[in-house]
Amino acid sequence: MKYITTIDEREFQIEIVDDHKVIIDGTAYAVDFDTVSNQPVFSLLVDGRSYESYIYPGEEGWQVFLFGTLYLATVEDERERRLRAASGGNVVERGEYFLKAPMPGLVISIPVSEGQQIEQGDVLVILESMKMQNELKSPRAGTISRLRVAPGDNVEQRQTLLSVI
Amino acid sequence: MFNKVLIANRGEIAVRIIRACRELGMQTVAVFSEADRQALHVRYADEAYLLGPAPSRDSYLRAEKIIDIAKKCRAGAIHPGYGFLAERADFAEACHEAGLVFIGPKPSSIAAMGDKAIARATVARAGVSVVPGTEGEGSLGDEELLALSEEIGFPLLIKATAGGGGKGMREVTNIEEMPALLHAARREAEASFGEGNVYLEKLVVGARHIEIQILADTHGNVIHLGERECSLQRRHQKLLEESPSPFVGDDEDMRQRMGEVAVRAAQSIGYLNAGTIEFLVDKNKNFFFLEMNTRLQVEHPVTEFVTGVDIVKEQIRISRGRQMRYSQEDITMNGWAIECRINAEDPYNNFLPSTGVISHSLLPTGPGVRVDTGIYPGFTISPYYDSLISKLIVWGETRAEAVLRMRRALEEYKIVGVRTNIPFHQSLMDSMRFMTGHFDTRFVEERFSIEAAEEGKVSYPDIAAIMATLVAHQQTQRAAHIIQRGDRDTSNWKWISRWERLRR
Repeated sequence: MKYITTIDEREFQIEIVDDHKVIIDGTAYAVDFDTVSNQPVFSLLVDGRSYESYIYPGEEGWQVFLFGTLYLATVEDERERRLRAASGGNVVERGEYFLKAPMPGLVISIPVSEGQQIEQGDVLVILESMKMQNELKSPRAGTISRLRVAPGDNVEQRQTLLSVI
Repeated sequence: MFNKVLIANRGEIAVRIIRACRELGMQTVAVFSEADRQALHVRYADEAYLLGPAPSRDSYLRAEKIIDIAKKCRAGAIHPGYGFLAERADFAEACHEAGLVFIGPKPSSIAAMGDKAIARATVARAGVSVVPGTEGEGSLGDEELLALSEEIGFPLLIKATAGGGGKGMREVTNIEEMPALLHAARREAEASFGEGNVYLEKLVVGARHIEIQILADTHGNVIHLGERECSLQRRHQKLLEESPSPFVGDDEDMRQRMGEVAVRAAQSIGYLNAGTIEFLVDKNKNFFFLEMNTRLQVEHPVTEFVTGVDIVKEQIRISRGRQMRYSQEDITMNGWAIECRINAEDPYNNFLPSTGVISHSLLPTGPGVRVDTGIYPGFTISPYYDSLISKLIVWGETRAEAVLRMRRALEEYKIVGVRTNIPFHQSLMDSMRFMTGHFDTRFVEERFSIEAAEEGKVSYPDIAAIMATLVAHQQTQRAAHIIQRGDRDTSNWKWISRWERLRR
């Protein structure tokens, strides 16, 4: 199976031949890949060199923690790459953005109201968790379409708080 | 004399205190909230009693209930740890009235040091210099503040009385811009906290936060255990502490002067038990009294590592009316210790707290490493308490060895289930400024970013790419396997659509 993996705008052509052989940018390596104790800790032996990392699925691709550094990797196979190329490559931001609680907590205040125009980076909700007040900001500009919680509400992790159109 | 101690706290500090009690052959009593039934302090204690629901005010802050439990189970003493009831003079007083020993200072000392104005006035009378300013003087009008500003001298800071997080704070460099900035600060304070009271404080440029550990017994002995460097903070929360301070370094004279001043400040209020005097130190090594913490500090282990004194055991000994085991001449600082506070926070996402079940945890061990923690695999990190889940402390013969050892230990430490700030500490260990000891209290917030710190480091994008690809590959294969089975009662498309809607 062939993949194109991108880290910091650098593309790697990676072919997984079998469980113990990977070809990266034309060079073959003997690998031994295993999860340690429990996901998401992974151990990789590449030609005898040992690496250990945490790998989490992120919003856009994979988060790889390796030797104290975070790498953001997107992995596409050839079909996905062709599909994306056919759609023009630039995915337009559209549809509703749902702001979800990143952790359980108490809604302290909602400085926006329904129908309000907001800019990227505006504070949408202030959520208290672990004795700290955390500002949840909008990743893009838009209009507040629906508030689903009110100040004083206790919310669960991943609960939708409001949406932005 | 008591033989049974109730620990009115949770988490790593409750475990720490239980350990000291056990080593002294004392019985231990834990108290816990409904969220902490499975917590380590409950498992380690000889007895454990439920306080109430998870929120602190319904559990760990219920002073009366805690005292009741102590009386019922015939505990002779209460150790408050830090936070919760540790610095509440009324709680200490209530313990005495109930015939219980409060392992800490006298209620009057807690009250005196808890009030900023009284604390400043008291230590100033003992000849200890304080940061010039008007904090604790009550609310003053613009006219009065303008008059006082000349006395304090520029540059100075306008700070909101109800403040925090830099809101309502303004830096003033001369008297001309003072009225406009006062107005702006009051307006911002009003908007943020509902009241516009402000005070003035001299701006200490390039300030460091250095504190002195004190021990005082009932036989009139007061000693200090050297200093701790605590300048590395974010939003006034300490992140990393070390002892000795690289800023004091070989300057034994400065260390002794700070120690003597701290001892004098403690004596001025007849202080008993363990306490800490915090100083603000300017770049010319002038130091000013900031405040006194009348309790055991989170960062006490770094002092324990370099002095060899078990501070918690000494606290208990003092509370039992014994003499301290050490005099000032016995205290020498050997080598170097560093502590990293491991918080359940995502350093890549604005330090947002992270909650969840610890699914896996691998502790760093080996020479010179100590971990104080209350978590273990299977334990749930709840949103009710603060995010400190573990303290990693290392000792080295020199600062360089301690830094290298900390790097090694951070790399070994694996916590899965919640995000932690371990990568932040790893970046800090690699930063030139930290290695050379050139940092002040503003360093983390103003001059350090984890993203920038990662630039220029030896990186392994190719290895990361291989690993991400292998994980993605495994996932694709597993997904293909599930879809092929087709043994669900509805079509997979319907199922996925429902699942996606659920996740909204």
